[in-house]
Amino acid sequence: MAKKLRSLDHHTQVRLIPSYVLVVTWAIFTFVLIGWVFFASFSTSQEIFSDSMFKFESGFHFENYIRAWNTQKVSVYFMNSLMYTVVSCTSIILIASPAAYVLSRFKFRGNLSIQSLLASALGIPAIMIVMPLFSLVSRLRLTNNRWLLIFLYIAMNVPFTTFFLLAFFKSLSTTYEEAAYIDGCSPMGTFWRIMFPLVQPGIITVTVFNFITIWNEYFMSMIFANKPKVRPVSVGLFNMIQAMRYTGDWGGMFASVVIVFLPTFLLYIFLSERIIQGVTAGAIKG
Amino acid sequence: MKKKGMVVALLVLAVIATPLFAGGSAEDAAGKKTVTYWSMWNEAEPQGLVMAEAAEAFEEETGIEVEIVFNGREIRKTLQPALDAGETIDIFDEDISRVNSTWGEYLLPLEEYVSKSYPTTGGESYSDAVSTALIDLARQAGGGTLKTAPYQPFAFVVMYNKDHFNKAGITETPKTWTEFENVCAKLVQAGITPITVDDAYMAAFFGYNMARLAGYERTLEMANNNEFNDPAVLEFGKIWSDFAKKGYISKKAASNIYPAGQIEEIAAGKVAMYLNGTWLPNEIKGNAPNFNWGAFAWPEMGPNGNGTEANNYGAQCFGINANSQVPDEAFQFIVYLTTGEWDSKLAKESLGVPMGKNSTWPKQTAEAKTIIDNTTTWMTWAAGMENLADVNAKIKENFSKLILGSLNAEQFYAAMNK
Amino acid sequence: MKKNRTMIIIFLTPAMICYLLVFLYPSIRTTIMSFFAVESVSDPISTWSFNGLENYRTLFNTAIFRQSMRNIASIWLVGGIGVMVTALFFAVSLTNGMKFSKFFRSVIYLPNVVSAIAMGTMWINYVYNSSYGLLHDIFATLGMTTLSETLWTGPDKLFWSMLVAYSFGMVGYHMLIFMASIEQIPKDYMEAAQIEGANVFQRFFHITLPFLRGCFRTNIVMWTVFTVAFFVWGQLFSPVNLSNATVAPMNYMYEIVFGSSASTTTVRDSGAGAAVGVIMMIIVIIAFSATNLIVKNDDVEL
Repeated sequence: MAKKLRSLDHHTQVRLIPSYVLVVTWAIFTFVLIGWVFFASFSTSQEIFSDSMFKFESGFHFENYIRAWNTQKVSVYFMNSLMYTVVSCTSIILIASPAAYVLSRFKFRGNLSIQSLLASALGIPAIMIVMPLFSLVSRLRLTNNRWLLIFLYIAMNVPFTTFFLLAFFKSLSTTYEEAAYIDGCSPMGTFWRIMFPLVQPGIITVTVFNFITIWNEYFMSMIFANKPKVRPVSVGLFNMIQAMRYTGDWGGMFASVVIVFLPTFLLYIFLSERIIQGVTAGAIKG
Repeated sequence: MKKKGMVVALLVLAVIATPLFAGGSAEDAAGKKTVTYWSMWNEAEPQGLVMAEAAEAFEEETGIEVEIVFNGREIRKTLQPALDAGETIDIFDEDISRVNSTWGEYLLPLEEYVSKSYPTTGGESYSDAVSTALIDLARQAGGGTLKTAPYQPFAFVVMYNKDHFNKAGITETPKTWTEFENVCAKLVQAGITPITVDDAYMAAFFGYNMARLAGYERTLEMANNNEFNDPAVLEFGKIWSDFAKKGYISKKAASNIYPAGQIEEIAAGKVAMYLNGTWLPNEIKGNAPNFNWGAFAWPEMGPNGNGTEANNYGAQCFGINANSQVPDEAFQFIVYLTTGEWDSKLAKESLGVPMGKNSTWPKQTAEAKTIIDNTTTWMTWAAGMENLADVNAKIKENFSKLILGSLNAEQFYAAMNK
Repeated sequence: MKKNRTMIIIFLTPAMICYLLVFLYPSIRTTIMSFFAVESVSDPISTWSFNGLENYRTLFNTAIFRQSMRNIASIWLVGGIGVMVTALFFAVSLTNGMKFSKFFRSVIYLPNVVSAIAMGTMWINYVYNSSYGLLHDIFATLGMTTLSETLWTGPDKLFWSMLVAYSFGMVGYHMLIFMASIEQIPKDYMEAAQIEGANVFQRFFHITLPFLRGCFRTNIVMWTVFTVAFFVWGQLFSPVNLSNATVAPMNYMYEIVFGSSASTTTVRDSGAGAAVGVIMMIIVIIAFSATNLIVKNDDVEL
């Protein structure tokens, strides 16, 4: 039996050749695309718009990075995004996991409707909610306020995260709670001390996913953060690209692109398994 | 563990380095006044760099703090909702038409302010110290009352590569359409593509052609009614499909996403002419530092249209928010930027024109000055062809197709009237 | 039980507040707003004036809005088929015993992690450049001169170029969803079929596809949600003002609600902007219900 399967495996590899060709081409294309930006970030404006970019006749221009970091405010955008994502990812978990826990554990009227409401949030387009939010926020004079942005990032991701964590809590055995009850632990204490740590894998997965979503979020940030001081990287990047059209510093622009892209890329290299889990689990259930 | 420590350190840094509440009041506890200026420039642009520097010097001299919010051209989207929301904005700027018409209702009239003299105006009133022509233009744009302070004047003209013209043996710039055709023919002979355009300027290109073929009034009428059943439209189709066939307009023009044309064709030295603003040398000086610029007015095209005396020229304009708590200080900063030392510096760094009387234009755009002086019919931006999003989109699509030959003149006319 | 009740309330309230404030309240207000004439988005309700379906009528009488609807229809249908077929092909290949499948999976998903702004810039400035771009170079090397001179961002190709660039990034996401479902297919089914001599196509059509019905539904719903939110790519491929080839309803809404990017005499129309939002919402609801009707499947819950 095993032998037969192994020979089948050989056959499979042969039959998979067309697949290999396509997949490898696709992968190479992806690398070339990203590689080009990387090379461009070390080049000059004149070289980028010519056939000879990859030759680096005038050397590697590391100063593009210094210029991008200083004059283009990448440092500001970067720090903003870092703060927004860290604070909101943490808060999302603190809000979503208790909610997911009670929804998964307790029977009460409206439980199922709440679950489907939360799931439906994924389908509500940003265009549907942006106008009233903007009007509310501007009447409260809260545009360009960091806390407001963080609140939006949190609120927009809580429904999905709650829905995602539901499944993890459901899969936990109730014996943990029973044991805790016998030990005299309050239900809330039980949750924070026992149940919450048990869903750690789910929390990490969804947090990585949230991190990337918030780091790359564009539309809402564009509407609610138009002052450079409070802009996150995605909006900052678009503005830098727009600015570059008027200043012609293309090397600096691609350096900015790399700086913005790097954190998510590194995160992805180390945590791609987690991210992929997050996406697939989220999508299948959500 | 080390990694964890770093994350924590970064976090702490992020929180400390960023003041948590943005925005501010006009006056802080110590009684120091703050002027908030929402700028149309990006901070990395020469204009942005100079202004940031000027703001610092201004604070040192006067004790008034200027907070500049660099919006870039996105200010077209960000300013109005912010003004409606009552955000603290004292000064804002953009193109003369936009500030005066689109944002007109938010403006504080400035007549009183310009009649006074200031430390940098040499004893004269502000309006006497700066270019009278531009003040008049701004007054006209404000419907008879001066509501904005102009600076960075520009003209919309043909910007061309003098080296190309020399190489092709062209000694004089064209004034009539026959002369223009000759210029194109000579350039093609010399192996140079005569003209190009980017998607962003196609409507302006079309508008200029219409003004020369059918007259400015008629052009505005077509643009604002979205009706193009004019023989001039067909004529435009004939001319440019013919020119495209002869290689007088770059094929790439059909596919240029701004700023591909001005960078990959003009700055790269492949194409000679571009109907654009006098800001072009500044925008592409990073890609073509030693460009030999020349300028001439779009030539006359026919008996029914305007000639070279009709042009779009203007300036960027500062406006002061009617609700500003610090209008005096705001105007003081505008004066500081548009007179004396900083006026010259701003102009020099951006290859622009100073506001002072009798100021000279930089050599890259010097010829445009004569064009403005000879202009008797002032045209609005793009001769009105960008007033409606529908019209603009239609022009871009059909003109591109005309260039590529997928529409002929008749089909172009039909498509414009669909 | 009483204790539980307090706990339920305390634990649930913050999440519900988020939902009510950011999803429910705005959706309701946008829907109401779409039946009123409203100029500025921050106008107080007292200045709104009821005008029934006028906003919707105005929208459908505007050529560029109709164009934007045609554009997302093509994105949804053509892009959707392209992305789903490619994603499914990769998913089946990678779960079929391919070597380094984890690596390839990560690489194919990679574009999703990169900011769309960065991806778009790469496509426009590099891949599609007609004088030194990637496609130009490839075709030139292969000696296909006509193809190498193609103006990828020219009037007839701009939309398709944008769609390809957009879809390229989306394949990874949908592939992951397919892969996850394929991996849930019991291994012995496949092995049994393999030993019985079923070829790769037979196995695909008789085992894989039937198993993936629910997964198709998820993919279609998500694809619809993404299509409705199509915005950044339109902005990148027409950076200065709207073009027929690249405009999507959201770009149009941004233009009429927040102020035009090019014209100097603008009338804002937030009421019509709200109507755009409602139309998009209706599209999502239709897609959701339609997929529920067409793909009836109970083993994968949605």
